[in-house]
Amino acid sequence: MMLEAFVFSTVLCGFFGIIFKQNLVMKIVSMDIMSTGVIAYYVLIAARNGLFTPILSNKDNIDYADPVPQAVILTAIVIGFSIQALMLVGVMKLSKNNPTLEVRAIEENNTNG
Amino acid sequence: MDKITIAWIALSFFAGFTIYLLPILSRWLALGVGIISLIYGIKIFFLSSPLDIHLLGSFGVNLLADELSSFFILTNALVTIAVIIYCWQSSKTKFFYTQIIILHGSVNATFICVDFISLYVALEVISIAAFLLIAYPRTDKSIWVGLRYLFVSNVAMLFYLIGAILVYQANNSFNFAGLTNSPTEAMALIFLGLLVKGGIFIPGLWLPLTHSESETPVSAMLSGVVVKAGVYPLLRCALMLEEIDPIVRFFGVCTALLGVGFAVLEKDTKRMLAFHTISQLGFVLAAPVVGGFYALTHGLVKSALFLIAGVLPSRNFKQLQYQPIDSKIWLVLVVASFSISGFPLLSGFGAKVLSSKNFLPWQTIAMNIAALGTAISFAKFIFLPRQKLISNSAEIAESDEQKKIQTGFWWAMIILLGGLIGANVFYYQAYTLQNTVKPLITIILGWVAYLLIFKKLAIKLPRNFEKFDHLIGTMSLMSILIFWILWTQLKFSI
Repeated sequence: MMLEAFVFSTVLCGFFGIIFKQNLVMKIVSMDIMSTGVIAYYVLIAARNGLFTPILSNKDNIDYADPVPQAVILTAIVIGFSIQALMLVGVMKLSKNNPTLEVRAIEENNTNG
Repeated sequence: MDKITIAWIALSFFAGFTIYLLPILSRWLALGVGIISLIYGIKIFFLSSPLDIHLLGSFGVNLLADELSSFFILTNALVTIAVIIYCWQSSKTKFFYTQIIILHGSVNATFICVDFISLYVALEVISIAAFLLIAYPRTDKSIWVGLRYLFVSNVAMLFYLIGAILVYQANNSFNFAGLTNSPTEAMALIFLGLLVKGGIFIPGLWLPLTHSESETPVSAMLSGVVVKAGVYPLLRCALMLEEIDPIVRFFGVCTALLGVGFAVLEKDTKRMLAFHTISQLGFVLAAPVVGGFYALTHGLVKSALFLIAGVLPSRNFKQLQYQPIDSKIWLVLVVASFSISGFPLLSGFGAKVLSSKNFLPWQTIAMNIAALGTAISFAKFIFLPRQKLISNSAEIAESDEQKKIQTGFWWAMIILLGGLIGANVFYYQAYTLQNTVKPLITIILGWVAYLLIFKKLAIKLPRNFEKFDHLIGTMSLMSILIFWILWTQLKFSI
């Protein structure tokens, strides 16, 4: 319960960071924090029945962690990090003409006209 | 058939990377993939029973292909083929074709998957490929528009992921069917993700800027098929689970009205088309049972319209009033506009009739208003001035230059508009006297309203809601709204 609260506060911190930070790089970092929260939640749910690594062995009745959410979140981590890399490349390109990288300024330069 | 399906999904990704390695074959390979999808879509349509594939047991990937998916796959195939032919003579690089085909493949993947994680992966691949296509010109503006799209959709997908794991927690499976047993917040978060991704209702307001600022073939692709990737899962859920059906219908009605409201007042051709896409997605959602056919006709007509808007001399309706357009272009423009307004002989008519038969009583009035709005907004295109003969020699030279680019354009038009006329066979029962009169009255009323009121009206709508911060902020408000709707709905039903 306690851990769940921590996980959700991480997600919310990230989300508010995306809204309130002005700088584009900071927004991307906030998005990363948010996705860290989501990943942590997957791990938490995988561990609700046990903490042992799910590998077949001779011992019986071990409380295995659920492998499915872990396998799934691995995909999501990879996707998340590739998207972030792509975004940062975009930001690098934008930074040539918008050195402050403030979203408001970029938006004004690029949406009207 | 199982193996064919898997091979078909893998083919587009394989072909996509091959294009990058063998640039000489790029256009042929891309076209081939489109044609194979077309054949596959037709084959699925004629299957006697839906194709249900379970890979790797209950924790694995579930695929389901039936009539609904076949409509979406056909849309995707036809639009992709048309876009590739449109670009045939342009100087697009291998990179462009690679991305088009990867986008095509991932959109196809969303149309047959029935579990949340496959859907997530497909949707994220779509975001990446779409971002690369939007940013293809490499200008600051295009990069910003693409970045904004990627950002919004990625944040939405994070909410979606939380919803997906809550479904898993309740069911030990990611299948769509588990949505009924899962907690309300799971449904709310998944809905939020899909609404944003599909460009539906207020969270979909990222769509106008993205679709109008991309290059012509890219906007045709985005508006024609990519938004449907967010709509299809909602339709599938609504068909599988009865509890969700009224909620999807409700969002459909809201979206139809919102989109058409903006479209009527818009003064820019491409933005008007983009807002109109939002409203048409509403029509698709408003009658989930027959949404597939509507999506097919809308995909064809909207990509045709975006391609036409790309060859018009100006993007501003005011300027277009003084610049007569070529009568051939005007002709295709009118055919497309008639179809979307629901004029008989074109399949837009059949789709409108079929959908309106499936509306619930409370939806009818709102959807009729939305249909009227459609007629008004497309009257803007129909009443543009046109010319037959080009008088001076300078203009002839100019038009010759244009024609070189346009041979591909005409072939694309033949495919898309031919598809529109051909799609009539799916619902030929629509042609009764009673059915025919109603759309005609709607169209005439729309034209009268346009000529008397909206032509002179000059209201500039604020674009505040399309700012980046607001797009992210509305997501939180929408999640609360969806949660509230679901909570009250389910409480009453229990």
